[in-house]
Amino acid sequence: MKNLQLKKLLPQAGVATVALAAALGLAACGGTPASTGSTGGSAPAESDGSYELVTDGALTFATSPDYPPFENLENGEYVGLDMDLGRAIAEELGLECEYTNIDFDGIVPAIVAGGQADAGLSGISITPEREEQVDFTDPYYVDNQAVATLSSNTELTEDNAAEALNSAEITIAVQSGSTGADFAAENYPNAEILPFPNFTDAFAAVASGQADAVCGNSAVVQQMLAGAYTDQHVILTSATGEEYAIAVSKDNPELLAAINDALAKLQEDGTIDELIAANMG
Amino acid sequence: MRTLPKRAAVALSLALACLASCCVWLALPPQAAEAMQVVRCTGRPNSDDDPTAIQGATQSRITLETTVDEGEGVDQLVVHVPDGTSFGTDDLNVTLLTGDDLMTRNEVAYDLSTDGQDIIFDFDAPLSQAGHLNIIIYDVYFPQEGGDMQVGATYTLADGSEHEIDGIPQITVVGITGPEALSQWLEQQEWVQAWNSNTFLHLFLDPTVLVTSFPVVLNGFFMSVGVVALAFPLGIPLALVLALMRLSKFFLWRGIATTYVNLMRGTPLFLQIYVAFFGLPLAGIQIPNFPLGVIVLMLNSGAYMCEIFRAGIQSINKGQTEAARSLGMNGFQTMLFVIFPQMFRNVIPNLTNEFITLYKDSSLLAAVGVMELVMYARTIVASTGSITPYIVAALFYLVITLPLSRITRVLEDRLRGHRRSKRHAHAPEAAGAEKEVAAR
Repeated sequence: MKNLQLKKLLPQAGVATVALAAALGLAACGGTPASTGSTGGSAPAESDGSYELVTDGALTFATSPDYPPFENLENGEYVGLDMDLGRAIAEELGLECEYTNIDFDGIVPAIVAGGQADAGLSGISITPEREEQVDFTDPYYVDNQAVATLSSNTELTEDNAAEALNSAEITIAVQSGSTGADFAAENYPNAEILPFPNFTDAFAAVASGQADAVCGNSAVVQQMLAGAYTDQHVILTSATGEEYAIAVSKDNPELLAAINDALAKLQEDGTIDELIAANMG
Repeated sequence: MRTLPKRAAVALSLALACLASCCVWLALPPQAAEAMQVVRCTGRPNSDDDPTAIQGATQSRITLETTVDEGEGVDQLVVHVPDGTSFGTDDLNVTLLTGDDLMTRNEVAYDLSTDGQDIIFDFDAPLSQAGHLNIIIYDVYFPQEGGDMQVGATYTLADGSEHEIDGIPQITVVGITGPEALSQWLEQQEWVQAWNSNTFLHLFLDPTVLVTSFPVVLNGFFMSVGVVALAFPLGIPLALVLALMRLSKFFLWRGIATTYVNLMRGTPLFLQIYVAFFGLPLAGIQIPNFPLGVIVLMLNSGAYMCEIFRAGIQSINKGQTEAARSLGMNGFQTMLFVIFPQMFRNVIPNLTNEFITLYKDSSLLAAVGVMELVMYARTIVASTGSITPYIVAALFYLVITLPLSRITRVLEDRLRGHRRSKRHAHAPEAAGAEKEVAAR
C-alpha cells in the first residue's frame, strides 16, 4: 500500500548493531541483573552504563493521545500505530513499555529537560528547529496531508480545491505546530490559518462554521471523518514527505542508537508495515 | 438483455477514446505532447513572526513537483537552485507519486552530482510511469536580502533531446527581520553557546529564541490586553444589574440572578469558552473569534463582580440608606448617589484583583484559536521545542499584573487607614452588615 522511504535507516543499522552489542557486552561483564527483568536478562539498565532510562527496565515514551490513528486513548488504553510501535521497540530492547501523557507542544521540551520520559513518540515530524533541541531516530512513517470541508460546502470542491483554498476569504483550521499547519502556510499563503492546540477542535471549528476547511495528516483526517465528523469530506490530498520519527535527548546517543537498531529490525521483518496496515485500515 | 447493449456502448466508447487519444498523440510532435509540467514549487515558511513568510538566511526547504507522462522516459533532470542560495544534498528526497490520487510513493534511484547551483539527477532507469515527480531539497538558505527566487529545471529524454520546464512559479523570499538577524548573531557568540550548554538555561532562557519570540508574543500581548480591556468594563454594568437583582425583594429577579451567578461561578471558564465557541455557531449565532472571546469573558467576570458588588452594597451601613430616604431621596437616587459611590471606593481593591484574574484567564481562549499571548507562545514552542517563548509570555503577564498588585496594595492600605480613623466615630462595618442580616 504505502511504499515507505526508509533509506536512511539501513546504513546506520550496522553502527547501531555494534553499539547495542557493546551495550550488551557491558551488561554481561557488569554482571548486574536487570532490576525488573521483564523478558529475561538482556535488559540493559542504567547501572550498566549503556543508556540511561527514567525508570530502570522500562522505556518511557511521552505521547499526546489526541491523534488517532497514531495515538489515542480507548477505554484508558493507549492505542494506535505509534503505541504499537513503541511496544514493539521496547520488546525488541527487552524493556517494559510505558507511556506518559504530555500535550504535544510539551513533548520536545520534556525530552530536553529529561526526567519525564526517555523518548517522544507522538507523530512528531522531523524539522530543523526541533533538531536543534533533540535527536531524531530514523523515520518510521512518511506523512501525507489532506484537506477536508463540510460535504454541504459547494464553494470548495475536489475540482477547485488547489486554487480555491488559496484565497483570503478562506479560513483553514489546523493544529498548531503540526505539519498540517506548515503545509497550509506553504501552499495556501493567502488563506487565513486558524490554529488549535487540539486537532479535534479544528474539526469542531469546521462543523460549527468557524473555519471553512481543516488541514492535517491524511490518516488522521480520514479517521476523524469516519468517526465523529461524517458530514465532512476530503477535497484534496498531497504526498508531502514529512518524516515521522522518535525524539530522543541529545544527552542519550546510546538510546538513540538502540532504538534505531530496533527500528531497523522491525522494518526488516515487516513489523512496521504490518502495524501501519493494521492501524490505517 | 439490458446489459448487453450497455456493455457494447461502453466498449465502443472505450475504443473511441483510445482512438481519439491515439490521434492526438500522433497528430502532435512527441516532445510537445509529453512535456514535463510544473505542479508546484514552494519554499517552506520559516519565520516565527509570520507563518507564511519565507525569509532569507534561515533554514528552509524547496519542494518542486512536476508531472511525468506515461512513457515519457526522462533520463536526466537538472534543477537549478537560485543564485546565492545554499543547499544540502545529503537529504534529498526524490519520489515519483503515482496512482489516481497520486498518493502512491515510488522511490526513484538516481546518481547525484552537482555543478555550482545545479543539482543533476541521472536516473538509473528513465522515468516512464505517469505521475508527479516530487523533489524536496533540504538545508536551503535563501540569500539574506530576500527577493523573488526563480528555480529552474531542464530535463533530458532517453533520446537525448533536452527540454526546459517552463513557468516554474517564483518563491518570494523576504529579507531577514531584525530580531532574526540578532538571533543568528547571538547564536555565533561564545557566551551564548556557553549559556546554552546548560540544559535549564537552554530550555527556559535561550537568548536566540528569546529575541525572535519577543516581537511575536508582543502581538498576542496586544490581543490579550484588548480582550480584557473590553470585557472588564462591559462586565461592570452587567455585574451591577445582577447585584441589584440578587438584592431584590422580588423572588424572580433574585432567582434568575442567583442561578446565573451560580452557573458561571460553579463551572470552569474553560468549559464556558468551549460551549460559546462551538455551541453558539451551531445554534445559528455566528460571531467572529475576537468579539466572542470578549463576550465570554464579560459574562464570566460579570458573575464574579456581581458578588463583589453585592458584598460591597451590603457592607454599607444601613444608616446611610435611612438617612438618604429621610432626606426625601427615592430608592433609585439612594443607590446612585449614596450607596454606589461609597461601595465603589470599598471594592476597588477587589475589582483590581478580578481584573488580574481575568487577564490571566484570557489565556484559556488559546484553546479555541484566539491568537492571544499564550497561543502565540504556544505556536513557537510547538515548532521549536523550546520553553523560552512561555517565559516571554510570563513577562508580558507580569508587566500588567505586578503594577496592578502594587496599586491594589496601596489602595487597601489607604482604605484600612480610612476605616481605622472611621472606627472611632462609627460602629465597625462588619457589625453593620451583621445588623442588616439580622434585620431581614
